[in-house]
Amino acid sequence: MKSLNLQSMAKCATARVVRLWILGVVVAGALTTLPATPASAHGERSQQAFLRMRTLNWYDVKWSKTELNVNDEMELTGKVHVFSGWPQAVARPGESFLNVGEPGPVLIRKSAFVGEVPVPRTFSMDVGKDYEYKIVLKARRQGRYHVHVQINVKDGGPIVGPGQWITIKGDMKDFTNPVTLLEGSTIDLETYGITWTYIYHFFWMAAATAWILYWFMTKGIIVRYWQVKAGKGRELIGQDEKRIGAITLAAVLLAVLVFYAAANREFPRTLPMQAGLLTGISPIDEPRSTVAVQFKGGSYTVPGRELRIRAKVTNNGREPIRLGEFTSAGLRFLNPEVFTTRPDFPDYLLADRGLSVSDHNPIAPGETRDLEVIVQDARFDIERLSDLAYDTDSQFGGLLLFFSPSGERQRAEIGGPVIPKFQAGATL
Amino acid sequence: MSASTESGSPAGKTWKSKEEFLGCVTLTDWLLLVILFAVLLGSFHIHYMLLAGDWDFWIDFKDRRMWPTVTPIVAMCFAAAAQSFFWTRFRLPIGATTVVLALLVGEWINRYDNFWGWTFFPINLVFPSALIPMGFWLDIVLMISGSWLVTALLGGLGWGLLFYPINWPVLAQYHQATEIDGVLLTLADLIGFNYVRTGTPEYIRMVERGTLRTFGKDVVPVAAFFSGFISMLVYFLWWNVGKWFSTTKYLEIEEV
Repeated sequence: MKSLNLQSMAKCATARVVRLWILGVVVAGALTTLPATPASAHGERSQQAFLRMRTLNWYDVKWSKTELNVNDEMELTGKVHVFSGWPQAVARPGESFLNVGEPGPVLIRKSAFVGEVPVPRTFSMDVGKDYEYKIVLKARRQGRYHVHVQINVKDGGPIVGPGQWITIKGDMKDFTNPVTLLEGSTIDLETYGITWTYIYHFFWMAAATAWILYWFMTKGIIVRYWQVKAGKGRELIGQDEKRIGAITLAAVLLAVLVFYAAANREFPRTLPMQAGLLTGISPIDEPRSTVAVQFKGGSYTVPGRELRIRAKVTNNGREPIRLGEFTSAGLRFLNPEVFTTRPDFPDYLLADRGLSVSDHNPIAPGETRDLEVIVQDARFDIERLSDLAYDTDSQFGGLLLFFSPSGERQRAEIGGPVIPKFQAGATL
Repeated sequence: MSASTESGSPAGKTWKSKEEFLGCVTLTDWLLLVILFAVLLGSFHIHYMLLAGDWDFWIDFKDRRMWPTVTPIVAMCFAAAAQSFFWTRFRLPIGATTVVLALLVGEWINRYDNFWGWTFFPINLVFPSALIPMGFWLDIVLMISGSWLVTALLGGLGWGLLFYPINWPVLAQYHQATEIDGVLLTLADLIGFNYVRTGTPEYIRMVERGTLRTFGKDVVPVAAFFSGFISMLVYFLWWNVGKWFSTTKYLEIEEV
């Protein structure tokens, strides 16, 4: 049997097998080292419509620059309304993290704020409130990237806001990330400690390789197998081998001690990592909206990509108001009667003629009026909000923005169930 | 490499010369070594990434409680199984060292090619945990004692205890303090904050979560002892897993 096994193994070790084996290694190496095209999107369209419409309503999102050089900084700012009708299927934003949707750290996040509070850690938000955020980003890698604001909600997942194309010029090798330590010195975090990390790891890997090869080179594998099989295993590890092992172990433990002591000597003041939930962050402090909106029903016409909303609107303010915008899931549908100029916003999210109302006359102070709001644009479908008709909980959500002649803006949340219409021309 | 034919090898029967026979043995040995290394690399890597995962991927997950508890325990599985295979079949005291080296080689290829090469995460965010001295410890305890029971008890405990001191020489520099906008952070926290991970929000980290506060700031020794204790149990189980798989009975057919 032994002879048969060895013969078959020898037959396997022909030049052809060796060539095939080398080819396999080369292919595997190529597959793991070939460059990959950077991702341009972050799957925001793949998220269900109700999730994007009824969780976080983004507005006033601004990118301070769209073209930067490596090492330049920009700000991503805006506001977010935490929808009152937060879906039951998604965990509430009691633990949230202000994040950036981008293909890897092509821009690094230098600082992040919600209101006045810095948020390098997880924070808590309340449903029904509005929060202002600011993220300072620093360009790191050259290229053109789609950069989104994003809030991750624990047990709810990432909720992606609007994105903008950002062009970065220059070369990543010029990027630096200076950081000042509490003890006063300044380091470049981009490269800090990397050389030592390589040295330390490859030192131990070389030691392990030497240990393995030492034992392999003494009697190999097959001969040892025969000897063990023949009941001579004890002869393979005698006193000499044990002595070598003991010396090696002593050297390894001594090296561990020396490295450990050296690290403590070089870095005498270290801290444990810092973590914990930031609570009590104040929402936007502004007067209560003077517009009250009551949802009275709605429908979604699937072939026409048209959302119709019936609402009772009460103006409790001192100026007449007109509905200018409906925003949901990062998309903005504008009423051209109100927006005479196109705002600066990513085109794929801006339907500048996507909103109309049944009655264009301003709503006077103290007046209550029934309105039919029509949201219609191909973007509704392109951004896959049409899938609303196929959700298990077919409710929409969003913000209505009203404007007075003096330019004052009033927000009102709206949302509720809609009935899908699968034939064009159907009415409420 | 020396190869003896004293145990009844078939030299002279099938091969033309003793040299040809020894050459065949040597070539087969090398092929076996490389194939074994690649198989252990792949299988251990998958196992370790699934179970240790983020704790090993990111510097800001390497805390004083969860990381030194979880990582040695999940690493012990393959170390024990490989020892069982290499020791009982070949009397080779290299099982644990081989698997942790294979793991580290795989991890470094992954971290350098994928994390740095494809997505530009700096190496100081994504370097793996060091494990090799633990492999030496386990292998040499087995070699000197010649007993898997002693190795499970003594080796398993040392396996858990050694983990944090082995990693501290690299980790210490990233536990220096800094502040950003008035918030105190270690450099490890700051690297995690600066270098954006879209799918890895901060709350996923499990930094010293738990109710055990009796030992004040001395979190690591408690975690290390616990890890060592569980590693002993894992060793018993996985030594036998290795034993069950160290067989050629599935290949013993007439044609072979």
